Amino acid sequence: MKALNLLVIAILTLISLIYLFPIYWTVVTSLKTNIEVFTHPPILFPSQITLSNFYVSVNVFRAVSQTAVGSIPWMIDSTIIAFVATLVSTFLIAAPAAYALVRYIKSVWLARLILFMTMIPEAVFVVPFFIIVAKVSLLNTWWGLILVYISFSAPFSTWLLMGFFNDVPTSVEEAAQIDGLSPYQIFYRVSLRLVTPGIIAAIILSFISCWNELLYALVITYSPFPAGAQTVPLFLTSFIIVEKSFAWGGLAAAGIFTMLPTLIVGVFAQRYLARGLTLGSVKG
Amino acid sequence: MSEVVIEGLTKKYGKTVVLDDISLKVSAKEYFVLLGPSGSGKSTLLRLIAGLEEITSGSIYIGGRKVNDLLPKERNVAMVFQNYALYPHMNVYENIALPLKVRGMTKVDTNRKVREVAETLHIQGLLEKKPKQISGGEQQRVALARALVRDPTVFLLDEPLSNLDAKLRVEARAFLKRLQKEVGITTLFVTHDQAEATTIATRIAVLNKGTITQVDDPYLLYEKPKDVFTAGFVGSPSMNLVHGRARKLESGWEFYNEDMKIGLGKNTLGSETEVIMGIRPEKLTVSRDSSGLAGTVSNVELLGSISYVTVNVGKTTLVVQLPGRPDMEIGDEVRVQFHPESVLFFDTENGKRIDTPTD
Amino acid sequence: MQRGQALKVGLVLASPIIVYFVAFFIYPLFNLLQNAFTSSSGGFTLANFQAMPSDPLLSVSLSNTAYYFVGSVALEYSVGFGVAVLLYTYTGRLKSIFRTIIFLPLMVSPVVIGLMWLLMLNTNYGPVDYLLGPLGLGSTNWLGSQSLAMPSLILANTWEYSPFVFLIIYAGLQTVSPQLYEAASVDGLTRFQTFRFITLPSIRPSIVVAFLLNSIGVLKGFDLVYVLTNGGPGFSTYILSFYTYVVGFSFFETHYAAAVALLFLAIIGTFVFLMLRFTSVEEYLGLRRLRT
Repeated sequence: MKALNLLVIAILTLISLIYLFPIYWTVVTSLKTNIEVFTHPPILFPSQITLSNFYVSVNVFRAVSQTAVGSIPWMIDSTIIAFVATLVSTFLIAAPAAYALVRYIKSVWLARLILFMTMIPEAVFVVPFFIIVAKVSLLNTWWGLILVYISFSAPFSTWLLMGFFNDVPTSVEEAAQIDGLSPYQIFYRVSLRLVTPGIIAAIILSFISCWNELLYALVITYSPFPAGAQTVPLFLTSFIIVEKSFAWGGLAAAGIFTMLPTLIVGVFAQRYLARGLTLGSVKG
Repeated sequence: MSEVVIEGLTKKYGKTVVLDDISLKVSAKEYFVLLGPSGSGKSTLLRLIAGLEEITSGSIYIGGRKVNDLLPKERNVAMVFQNYALYPHMNVYENIALPLKVRGMTKVDTNRKVREVAETLHIQGLLEKKPKQISGGEQQRVALARALVRDPTVFLLDEPLSNLDAKLRVEARAFLKRLQKEVGITTLFVTHDQAEATTIATRIAVLNKGTITQVDDPYLLYEKPKDVFTAGFVGSPSMNLVHGRARKLESGWEFYNEDMKIGLGKNTLGSETEVIMGIRPEKLTVSRDSSGLAGTVSNVELLGSISYVTVNVGKTTLVVQLPGRPDMEIGDEVRVQFHPESVLFFDTENGKRIDTPTD
Repeated sequence: MQRGQALKVGLVLASPIIVYFVAFFIYPLFNLLQNAFTSSSGGFTLANFQAMPSDPLLSVSLSNTAYYFVGSVALEYSVGFGVAVLLYTYTGRLKSIFRTIIFLPLMVSPVVIGLMWLLMLNTNYGPVDYLLGPLGLGSTNWLGSQSLAMPSLILANTWEYSPFVFLIIYAGLQTVSPQLYEAASVDGLTRFQTFRFITLPSIRPSIVVAFLLNSIGVLKGFDLVYVLTNGGPGFSTYILSFYTYVVGFSFFETHYAAAVALLFLAIIGTFVFLMLRFTSVEEYLGLRRLRT
């Protein structure tokens, strides 16, 4: 028994190291001086640490792309877009839709449709979405991207919330009915309050996926705040394309810097989601 | 003012008939119980009165008003569910206040009414707590408070005592009975527990598979059941039911089957057919005399002041109620005796009780 | 509540999503169909589809996608599944630490992951090359050689996605009632038998759902390819999602792009359809509960 456990620990440690290593390497690279970055064989533990990459990277890119200070503009864009898209999608669209599907329009086919919509690749609708956004003159604006992101976030959040609404006991809703509440009042005052864990899960997942999205941002935006609405993933990809063979320290620093928001949200989410999310409706 | 009248009510789910042509009259201030086994349709009937389900055909009148097409909130009924259905995210005060709030009552008035009701139900101290912080019995009283705060016309209770433990249930029963009398509200109570029904009801309607078999006060239900189902359902332990035939002899009528022959004394039956004979355990007695039906004791259950002795008379099983602790054991040979007058007869075909006039 | 009334309420509540559905699903679909079946001069034509078999880029993309799909899913699924089982059997104080670490890749943006692996896989200065050097693969141009680019991509994708499989399987394992294991031990089953006859059947829903979501995730994947290899070197890492983008926004062939997009959609649709038909995955995802 003890030996088996030891073996398991050994394998798990190995696996952990593998998962940890790329992150470690990137962090380390961002802290290395250029001399140490470009050596062969690669150095695992740098002899000197510098923070200049964080500062320099921003400047280098700034010089190349001729935009305002640092990556802050992109951060602002991403934050606002992800935030607004998530809130609108979750509260205005997904929650009522999920509730309607579970309590009023009990159609399995519609539910299937919603599920299928979450599986459609981004690349399929790139061109049509571009055309739509261009037609309403919202290219390179916050709302342009927000509208597009909602179309992806809503189906997923709806499916997620459907599972949670299903678990709300009908007797509580019936009691509300007898107490005199209208269906909309029941939704807003009773049922919605009872699926809070689901709402939080939907918000977290939606925010993260909006923040990380690349393809649509690539197509719909071309400059960051304040002139436009370019998101952080784009900042990073432009950086990569330009600096691929040069400022690696800077590249790594940019990566770490832009990774922080989702990492923080992720850690926070993990504590919350670990509590009985199990993808809501996956039952044994 | 607040009678409930039901005429020809039928409820179908697709092709399945859940309630078949039910007609009922509940008087104002009555504590009326709908009694029946699972699937008999009693909860459905209650929900139809509440307006939670749609009527297939027939009518419901509350306080003289036809309510078929009215929404629950328009019928001014109040309902307590089996699991109380309290709003988990609101505290007790808010739970009770919500019906009033929704009707636009001012904060001051709401406050007054809520506290009044809370006092009636002795839950004033719980107003700040959330449902999950209070006990089952307290939750039930909160549910009652929420129902009563609106001064409803009719009070509907759907098995509200099933979630309580045995001792609490008995207390709650008495509490409900007192409360109902005090408030004076027409109450319809659904249960499958016949003991519960007989202890609290003014009248009981027994339902079986979607139809009403009998509507009477508890005493009549017990002594004069109209059919074999009601006879077997009301009373615990159940009435002994024996299959056999009746025939007329010179000395009078006789009931017989392969295990026994019983002279019926002055009772008469209409014809010589197959019948079901019913007799309650407390009307039987067991002794070691030489007269009566011969049988073997197969079980003895001691309940303190009384005991139930099961006797096998041939292939027939009879349960007998005896006082105290009888001096017999499993395997003993005994005799079962009873008065022919205390026996009831039921038609084998339609289950209805057969009148046995004495001439 | 009458059926008519109920429907009305449902429609009011669902109106926002219906609007979205029409604007961002129906209309784009219609647009794609329209474009795919017209030529640049505006007439009806099947040419866009007829050109497909003879399009070398498309065939390359399809075969690459197949390669990518099989390799990634096989690797990710086995790793994710294995790690989940491993962590599940481990009982010790390090459990939550391990779990947090395993979750890390899920919290990093795909673009950043691409960046990380760019640094890692560099021939001269990257640690991967260095560490695998002694195994005889030293000084290889991972991202620059046509035969190694795809495996590199698969490797990075595995790192990115295996925790996702882990998440689903691990969550499923948690739902197995410990009493089942107690009964099994009383009945005298070995650990292996318990795993095979008790654990595995119990987590069947998770197994199927993980496979479905993993597969779809790999097929949809765009970010990693764009950042790590951008389709190259040559066309060795052109996968369907990438090609669809390229046809629309590099070649600007709107009509052909629409056709390709529809092809992509059809492939995904077929896959989902097959999964729905031959597994009870729908039930596992909670859809059947709607039938009241």
